Amino acid sequence: MFRAILYQQWKWTRIMVGLATVAGFAVPIFSVRYATRNMEHGQAAAFLDGVQTWGVVYPALAGAVGVLIAIGVWTADHRGRHVYALTLPLPRWKYVLLRFAAGSVLVAGPIAGVTLGSVIAAASISLPAGLHAYPFALAVRFALATLVAFTMFFAVSSGTARTASIILGGLAALVVIQVLLAATGLETNILMPVLNAILTVPGPFAIFSGRWMLVDV
Amino acid sequence: MNEYAVEIGHLTYRVKTAFTLDDLSLRVPTGSIYGFLGPNGSGKTTTIRLILGLLRPASGSITVLGNAVPARAPAALARTGYVPEAPHLDPTLTVAEAIWFHSQFYATWDAAWAARLLDDFELDRQRLFGRLSKGQKGKLMMLLALAQRPELLVLDEPTDGLDPVVRRDMLSALLEYVSQRRATVFISSHLIHELERICDWVGVMDNGRLVADVEMERFKTGMKRLKVSHGPTHTEGLPFRVLTRSPTNGNGTEMWLVRDWAPEMAAAVTAAGGELQQVIDLDLEEGFVELLRSFRVPRTREAADV
Repeated sequence: MFRAILYQQWKWTRIMVGLATVAGFAVPIFSVRYATRNMEHGQAAAFLDGVQTWGVVYPALAGAVGVLIAIGVWTADHRGRHVYALTLPLPRWKYVLLRFAAGSVLVAGPIAGVTLGSVIAAASISLPAGLHAYPFALAVRFALATLVAFTMFFAVSSGTARTASIILGGLAALVVIQVLLAATGLETNILMPVLNAILTVPGPFAIFSGRWMLVDV
Repeated sequence: MNEYAVEIGHLTYRVKTAFTLDDLSLRVPTGSIYGFLGPNGSGKTTTIRLILGLLRPASGSITVLGNAVPARAPAALARTGYVPEAPHLDPTLTVAEAIWFHSQFYATWDAAWAARLLDDFELDRQRLFGRLSKGQKGKLMMLLALAQRPELLVLDEPTDGLDPVVRRDMLSALLEYVSQRRATVFISSHLIHELERICDWVGVMDNGRLVADVEMERFKTGMKRLKVSHGPTHTEGLPFRVLTRSPTNGNGTEMWLVRDWAPEMAAAVTAAGGELQQVIDLDLEEGFVELLRSFRVPRTREAADV
């Protein structure tokens, strides 16, 4: 059963998984290459800035991979309005678990890409004293962020279009209210507390915020 | 083995505040081919989805192959083949992949028979499901349902919109399987003549109610149109059920639509003071249409209680 579901999900997501794996492999290497241009002139601070410029790409890639795979694993069922899935002879929780497990396997591709790319990138440079490379720490963080995004959007995607509409509609309503408040000159900020709750510890997306660097002091 | 493959008791299902099914009770004898008739929107597909555990009833009970549904739906589904009205497989899978995918979920899967049906149905193994014609999709769905060797087949208008050749191929495979395995078939269809040929039991739905649930032969032979003159005002005592009465002209002659008729009941009309002039046979389609009509128009003179 697991093999069948994994194969089906692979057919739906293989192009995206392939591209994300290549991107995950390339980002650390390119970030280091970009930064070493400055290091040749002995400017360690500029080197760090150069690496940090690329730091935003990792959480963005992790989020995109998680979201797209989460959507991809349910696409076939959504198209068939879940009728086929619901007539298969296994409990619903088990079916959802199989889909989740298979999706988690697909997430492993981009994670492996980032791991390999980070190791190669870190090995390809000679760092000045006081600077350190953290290829595995970066890869683990990327893996956690990807799995968080995958898990959250897997849960949203598993519901009906109505459920997704309610969630997205709620978020859109918050933005609209904030715009209206700003237009009327009120200084109340309702978005910031929400964003803080989501993006700072112990929020579910806290792992996406902060500094993402292969090289650090 | 259970006496009934499917048993539904006092089932109520509603969408928001409107009743879709109201106090539905139905039993499908094990080993029978049960034809499930009814106009569009009468509740056939909803009933089928309830049987399969796709929907949850508001009240009442459903038992499929001895398993309470939806609580034990997976156990029932492991022994049930389903052919839906609209095929819903993953369009990116090829025919061979769709068969392999489906086979992974059924311990009773018969790969040899699936291969034979694949050849019989002339399906291209490498063709994507999304690119199959409607008839080819129907055949593939039938193949998947049959090759899992089910004890119960639930078919929701499986041949609707298909050409006669495809219909014949699908029904041949179905009948071959039923004759081999003595499986129970629950089939809904608009093609009444098709059901007339293969079914031995018939249920008729109308507006969420089961208005007939009888053996096919009894339904066919028991539905008659009687031409009666000077008929009695009340018909409660008659051994058959009068569904409608309508005058044919002004001389007291009426046309009765009756159920549960048998030839020896002619004397009962005479005993009640009427004169039976003619007994007119109805085929299944006429009987079906007249039965539904009798539930929809105000009955004349005396409302027969059915």
